[in-house]
Amino acid sequence: MNRIPALPTTRREFLKRSSQGVGLLAFSPFAPQFLVQSTRAASPAPEKDRSILVLVQLAGGNDGLNTLVPFEDENYYRLRPTLAIPKDKVLRASDTVGLHPSCGALHGLFQDGKLGVVQNVGYPNPNRSHFRSTEIWETASNSDESAATGWIGRFLDNACTGMPKESSDPVAVHLATNGVPQSFASAQIHPTFGVAATGGNRRDNEDSRKLLERMVGKSVANAASHSAAVSNSNASFLQQTVMDTLMTDRKVQRVISGYRPGTSYPATQFAGSMRSVAALIAGGLPTRVYFVALGGFDTHSGQANQHAMLMTQLSDGLAAFQKDLEAQHLDGQVVTMTFSEFGRRPSENQSRGTDHGTAAPLFVMGSRVKGGLHGTAPELKLERNQDLTFSTDFRSVYATALEQWLACPPETILGERFPSLEIFKNLA
Amino acid sequence: MSLSFTPQDAWKPLPDSAWNATTARHLLRRAGWTARRADVDRSASEGLTRTLERLFPTHVAEPDRFSMPTMLARFEQTILTRQRENARLTGDERLRAQREVQDRMRVGLQELSIKWLEHAAQPEASAVAKWTLFLADVYVVSAEKVRNPAAVYRHFDILATHGLGPAPALTKAVSRSAAMVFYLDLGQSQLRAPNENFARELFELFLLGEGNYTEADIKESARAFTGYRSNADGTFRFDERIHDKGPKTVFGETGPLRGDDVIDSAYRQPAAATFLPREVARYYLSETPIPEEHVAALGAIWRERGFDLGALARVFFGSQLFYAPEFRGSMIKCPIQFYLGLIQDMDLHIAPLPRFTLTPLRQMGQLPFHPPNVRGWVGGRQWINSATIAARRQLVELLFSPLDEKSLNADELFELVAARSNGFNRFTVSDEPFAPLAKLNPAEAAVALTRTFLAAGEGTVDEADGLLRDFIAASANDETQRLRRLRRAAVTLMQSPGYQLC
Repeated sequence: MNRIPALPTTRREFLKRSSQGVGLLAFSPFAPQFLVQSTRAASPAPEKDRSILVLVQLAGGNDGLNTLVPFEDENYYRLRPTLAIPKDKVLRASDTVGLHPSCGALHGLFQDGKLGVVQNVGYPNPNRSHFRSTEIWETASNSDESAATGWIGRFLDNACTGMPKESSDPVAVHLATNGVPQSFASAQIHPTFGVAATGGNRRDNEDSRKLLERMVGKSVANAASHSAAVSNSNASFLQQTVMDTLMTDRKVQRVISGYRPGTSYPATQFAGSMRSVAALIAGGLPTRVYFVALGGFDTHSGQANQHAMLMTQLSDGLAAFQKDLEAQHLDGQVVTMTFSEFGRRPSENQSRGTDHGTAAPLFVMGSRVKGGLHGTAPELKLERNQDLTFSTDFRSVYATALEQWLACPPETILGERFPSLEIFKNLA
Repeated sequence: MSLSFTPQDAWKPLPDSAWNATTARHLLRRAGWTARRADVDRSASEGLTRTLERLFPTHVAEPDRFSMPTMLARFEQTILTRQRENARLTGDERLRAQREVQDRMRVGLQELSIKWLEHAAQPEASAVAKWTLFLADVYVVSAEKVRNPAAVYRHFDILATHGLGPAPALTKAVSRSAAMVFYLDLGQSQLRAPNENFARELFELFLLGEGNYTEADIKESARAFTGYRSNADGTFRFDERIHDKGPKTVFGETGPLRGDDVIDSAYRQPAAATFLPREVARYYLSETPIPEEHVAALGAIWRERGFDLGALARVFFGSQLFYAPEFRGSMIKCPIQFYLGLIQDMDLHIAPLPRFTLTPLRQMGQLPFHPPNVRGWVGGRQWINSATIAARRQLVELLFSPLDEKSLNADELFELVAARSNGFNRFTVSDEPFAPLAKLNPAEAAVALTRTFLAAGEGTVDEADGLLRDFIAASANDETQRLRRLRRAAVTLMQSPGYQLC
């Protein structure tokens, strides 16, 4: 059973267990409820209340034209003399387009109707700066505006998660990212959680965490003997808050390490992150949004091998995740969506790579997804160094996900109306 | 809150006999970003007065000031011409040109932020940089609205230039800051409909505080400030034609008042003496307000000194109250201090990449030049929640991990190469600082680490010592393991509650 282990609910139970090495848990108001209420773990939230969105960021700018290959278009081969994927290698999705040869697993899902590909997604007046375009995608702003909050942050602010306001359970979780993604930036404070911080290897992180726990635990234990002035001090406040985050850390790590997946995952870091997401979903976390990042897509030179490797990682990782969810009967609750800050230039450059471009396809995966191709393919009758013109605004994709999957009115989040797409099966 | 000193005694200078390494450490941690060993020794030996003169000089020499980044200088020179050219374009071309300007502003702002961090990280510049940051929390502008990085730079330059001189001169200069004129809509003020935003914030947030002026004072002052305009290139101009020349009555005085006259009049109000001292205490001494009598006493001294800001700083940081035991290690570091303190503690260079600087700062809740609103940053416990604690911990890990150049994009690599060619290459923590520690026994090493990184207070230091000693000792005689454990011990210390305090 992958449910969260029952936890002590009284101080006496804690003190008894702490001698067995569980450690002292600060009973501060900041402690996430899912850690202290053993009853909650026994009665999971009803399925229909918990539709989950998993966002997968392809950081660096994924080359869309070699991801969904227009193998019948002579322009494609003209623009990419060395990088174009040969027609006979493409995994066909239709008479005119197909997937990169490394996407075998995703191709299988496509054939099963569980993978939707939204073609040629971008936005008006595209920006080709990594930093800025990523910001645009994460804040869902117009390219000439700037927003301080992310689209998921605004989703959280608008109390669309269905979680009680007082709950301190993590509403959004991010993995393998550079800290909290800008998509989560919000006007109000919401408990979010990060798994496996970047930097440092796992053993080092574990050592620090254990040592920190002991250090803070000692301070908290000593706190009982301190005066009121001290226990109200900033030092005390910090100890309690740090202790709470450490406890969340530890329990989440336990859920992840104690997880028995319904399928085997490839041994890549990305697949490991997807496995962790599955672990947390299976563990009964009421989290609605997960965010995983996969980097290395900025293929300015020598693209062929690098891109193939990334596609393999992406394809095998996503497919394993889907298979795992199905094995656990959780697939009805989860939709996974990829995004990237931009696609790449149709014409290849002098270094057998591609420069920053504009629009690109994105994947939407899940049992509730209407598989197949969506949107329209890009026009490729272009000169060297000309870029694609998008045909689907990424905010339409967001709007559809918000409205039809997360049951949240999209206009409040996105500021204006965007036409929705038919990427979900009839959800009546 | 009851304090160790009466209002009369609180601001008297700390006796020479009380000045030592411990008090020096407290001063450096509060006045700057951290207390490095060499700086502590120097301050302890030269005495408090000399140290204060050095940290808060009456005049900041030109070479020590934060100079305008080259990219911004070029931007400022060309922006007016560019705007004029753009005005002649139409339709799509014009939109494209405007977007290009916006992009350049955005990039310029990033550049400005990173360059400011590099400047503020220099130990000689730290105290003035932090004082400027403090003033920027009073005279707030946000790049979110102002956008033009040259104007933002000029605003900060005003704060740095006038920040240790007479406060009325600072306020007058700020009223002419193009960024301020734009931020508080002063540039929108019309003869027939004077905009009250600036006048209100001038009294409420810069000089007097709520309750110390009337609505009539605001309305009349707004009239006095008509004619203030900011140019597209980020400079200020005064437009006589749209200035209301009629008589106004502010704080009971009538005359054809102009902006400067209103400011002078405001400084004659009793509340002017205590407003800024109260902010200084809140920023540098304690988030919990100290008793009004103590603030009033400091205010009286400040008024006597002609509202000289350098004098205020030197009296404040030289006072008995500042060194009272209840204030040691009691304040929560703001993200910028956490970051720059870390850089200084580990003798690192600022990596000129957003992902090493601006991204972590934003996740910790303090993106430079982007205070959340006109009141500035709240500070204190507001800096701390599960996400920001995680961000602080991650920043430490980031700076202690070797730079993974494969994960960088082309722009970042470019910046890195440029920095290295200028002699900056210590972006992450190497084993070097730990080599001397590896020669000590675990107990000594533990003490060395805690004494370096933790501010005194509530015995947190002693608690850490034993645990660290055992952790380090677990490496036995294995050299590699010893080094690894020393590094881990340092990382853990910097992630601990104690390191978040100053």
